[in-house]
Amino acid sequence: MFFKYFNNQRKQQNNQLNQSEQEDFKVQLFRTIDENIENIKKLYDSPDDLITRKFTIGNTNQECAIIYIAGLTNKTVIDNRIMQSIQIESVESGKNVEVKGDALLNTLHEKVLHSSVSKVVNNLDEVSLAILSGDTALFVNGTDKVLILGTKGWENRSIEEPISEGLIRGPREGFIENIRTNTVLVRRRVRDSNLRFKAYQVGRRSKKQLVVSYIEGIVNPDLVKELNRRLESIDLDDAPESGYIEQWIEDDFLSPFPQLSHTERPDKVASALDQGKIAILLDGTPFVLIAPMTFGNTLQSPEDYYERWIVSSLIRYLRYVAAFIAVFLPSLYIALVSFHPGMIPSKLAFSLAATREGVPFPALIEALLMEATMELLREAGIRLPKPIGQTIGIVGGLVIGEAAVRAGIVSPVMVIIVALTAIASFSMPSYGMALSFRMLRFGFMLIASVLGLYGIILGYIALNIHLVNLKSLGVPYSAPFAPSFYGDWKDLVIRAPITMLTKRPKYTQTGDTERMDNKGGNST
Amino acid sequence: MKSFEYGDGEIGHTEIFYAVASMVIAIGILNLPRDLAQATNYVDGVFSLIIAGLFAILFTWMIASLAAKYPKQSFYSYTASLISRPIAFVITLGLTIHFLLFVAYETRMIGVIAAHYIFDRTPIEVASFSFLMLIVYAVSGSHVGILRLNLMFLPIIVLIAITICLMNLAYFDTENLSPFFTTDLKGYWKGVQESYFSFSGYEILLFYIVLMNRPKKAPKFAALGMIIPVLLYATFYVITIGVFSYDTTQTMVFPTIELAKEVEVPGGFFERLESVFFIIWIMAIFNTAAMAYDVSLLAARSIFKKVKKKTLIFIFSPIIFLAAMFPQNLNEIRTMATYISYSSLFVVVFIPIVLLVIAKLRGIKGSE
Repeated sequence: MFFKYFNNQRKQQNNQLNQSEQEDFKVQLFRTIDENIENIKKLYDSPDDLITRKFTIGNTNQECAIIYIAGLTNKTVIDNRIMQSIQIESVESGKNVEVKGDALLNTLHEKVLHSSVSKVVNNLDEVSLAILSGDTALFVNGTDKVLILGTKGWENRSIEEPISEGLIRGPREGFIENIRTNTVLVRRRVRDSNLRFKAYQVGRRSKKQLVVSYIEGIVNPDLVKELNRRLESIDLDDAPESGYIEQWIEDDFLSPFPQLSHTERPDKVASALDQGKIAILLDGTPFVLIAPMTFGNTLQSPEDYYERWIVSSLIRYLRYVAAFIAVFLPSLYIALVSFHPGMIPSKLAFSLAATREGVPFPALIEALLMEATMELLREAGIRLPKPIGQTIGIVGGLVIGEAAVRAGIVSPVMVIIVALTAIASFSMPSYGMALSFRMLRFGFMLIASVLGLYGIILGYIALNIHLVNLKSLGVPYSAPFAPSFYGDWKDLVIRAPITMLTKRPKYTQTGDTERMDNKGGNST
Repeated sequence: MKSFEYGDGEIGHTEIFYAVASMVIAIGILNLPRDLAQATNYVDGVFSLIIAGLFAILFTWMIASLAAKYPKQSFYSYTASLISRPIAFVITLGLTIHFLLFVAYETRMIGVIAAHYIFDRTPIEVASFSFLMLIVYAVSGSHVGILRLNLMFLPIIVLIAITICLMNLAYFDTENLSPFFTTDLKGYWKGVQESYFSFSGYEILLFYIVLMNRPKKAPKFAALGMIIPVLLYATFYVITIGVFSYDTTQTMVFPTIELAKEVEVPGGFFERLESVFFIIWIMAIFNTAAMAYDVSLLAARSIFKKVKKKTLIFIFSPIIFLAAMFPQNLNEIRTMATYISYSSLFVVVFIPIVLLVIAKLRGIKGSE
């Protein structure tokens, strides 16, 4: 259905093209190869990288032609497997290549060519898509059918350690831009016959491959159905990155929070699949989407499960504190300094007042100045080449901070707070959530400067109202806190020992709830 | 395979349990010790409080079983089948107004307490207005969303309450409690009245049980939910009397918040814990007000079926704000509170009893 839709779309466009620019171009396949070659050349407007090669089979006068795009294909395969098989081996091994048209094509397909990826098509759209994807089209004189041979092959980045999600302990593999490699990375971790890869095609123009992956029997079928519905509604020209998909299928585009998580780590995807979640892989990007996600997920890191549980639990608490600091610290400072100085212990209040002595601005302006500088530095750090990036860090962090204090523009305490906030927000395992926190921080700073602590708590409540109404693929974002699934808390409030995490999370409403036997492990 | 149980706007018994507890825990406790101390001697108030609590638990159970009798039916539809459409209309409208007044009272009290403990210069109107806006935002979402907020906030609220109680144990003087049983019966009765009013709010059950997927469990869990505030209030009362003695308590405006003031955080991390306590308590008050507003919308929408929720919010919110700003001083606010309490008494005692009796007499059974 999906493909048909796209084909129709394409036909309409082609028809328009047909009328306007290329008047002789026809959306059909011809019976003679010359006509076909001419037609396809017109279709692409004869680019340099379109290779058309006409030849005859062995010593017969059967005319054939192959068409492919240079660079997208593996030339060795074409030369050694296709050309050699057809021209030399077919005759030598006595295959019947005297027949005409369809019969010849079938003989070539079934007897001569020993390529495992090949198919016969009779539709120009499919031929064109195959050529553009790096396959080779084999035309035979006298038939309007075309043999498509799998010859995809182009340069890939090698599998490297994911940059955005570094770990001390854990696999060093990361996804790359090639979807085949990525599905392999997932398959190598989940050797389950129930692992499903469901292919879609997105992008009117780019026709990118998108693969939805889940484990049948664990995943809730309703989730898959809902995701399917949303994916089929996608109508884009191109999806250069999975972010496009994420934004198209997310539940609430006004929310400050990401509603699908993304990762570069195959191990994270594998464990998500085990939890009854769905992974969405897109060709051309190493970032794989995982749905559904909940707020609690954003503060979990794969390493939590690789280290021992006590350490992991404590580190998780540290992260909760970091999240709190990243969002609330500057606003608390503003509220305390400008509204409730009485709440600060008196000794500290005196020294605070002393440091703020020469500062000409109210706390909000002071905080905004420093925070804006910090954000600028961070942004500049991403753009700059790596060696200069460090210099900027030093120049920005040390020199500007120090100089701003000396110049009396900001107080030293403010510098400490901004630095703490920045460090805290860098410690978030989810980059998307760290971005949301950055944004929310400014909101809280503004409301704190108007209503003080009262404003902060109102903002906090408003945030919670938003969270309980937010959904990720229909699953409540605030689960398992509200609605409460107490069983899931042992992987949220603490990271319970692996032997005790026997159940899959309840909020994904899995088919198979048991993760392992209760008897697992030595400790029990 | 079941479809998403939480996706379709249904709630379970946990939500009901939390809803009752969160609805009751609000402003009431902040000045209850003063009112009780004025009515009774020494720590005798706690007996009144427990008696009132038992009454409240009983009524909660009654209301819940009434509503659970008619699963998936709105209050208006089953009252209409019991006592004719026009009377049901009047009662539901009355309930709508009752809950709107409830919201107005909470909104005003937030302003008053905020002015008392956090702000000195910001006008009450600003604090109340921003609070009301927050509630409007909450009720614009789903009913289930509001009930889930209880799950998130109640643990924090109970935790801070217990912390305050524990930290005050250092100042607790058992001599302040005795002698026991010095109050006359009239005093006890007044105490029961005062404390009963602070337990009001569970009439929301009349409307929320419709959303439950298995309403049979409702009475049990609603009654259990009621136990939390009863225990919490009793503990607070004993501690307040033990720390301040009963004649000092009489003179305080918000004795419970003053309790937080006594506490010194070890290490001098921050001072004036009462502000922090109040800040956290805003969550409790918010839960109560949001649920009251939500229920009034549920009630109004059951009788005016064609009016959109947003339209109702647009009409109700200015009315709430005006009603909240109407009382001129603390005394007038207290009068307002008393009226609400009486109407609450009427709602939770009179209506359910009459309805239950009529249901028995006319033999109308809900679809089990």
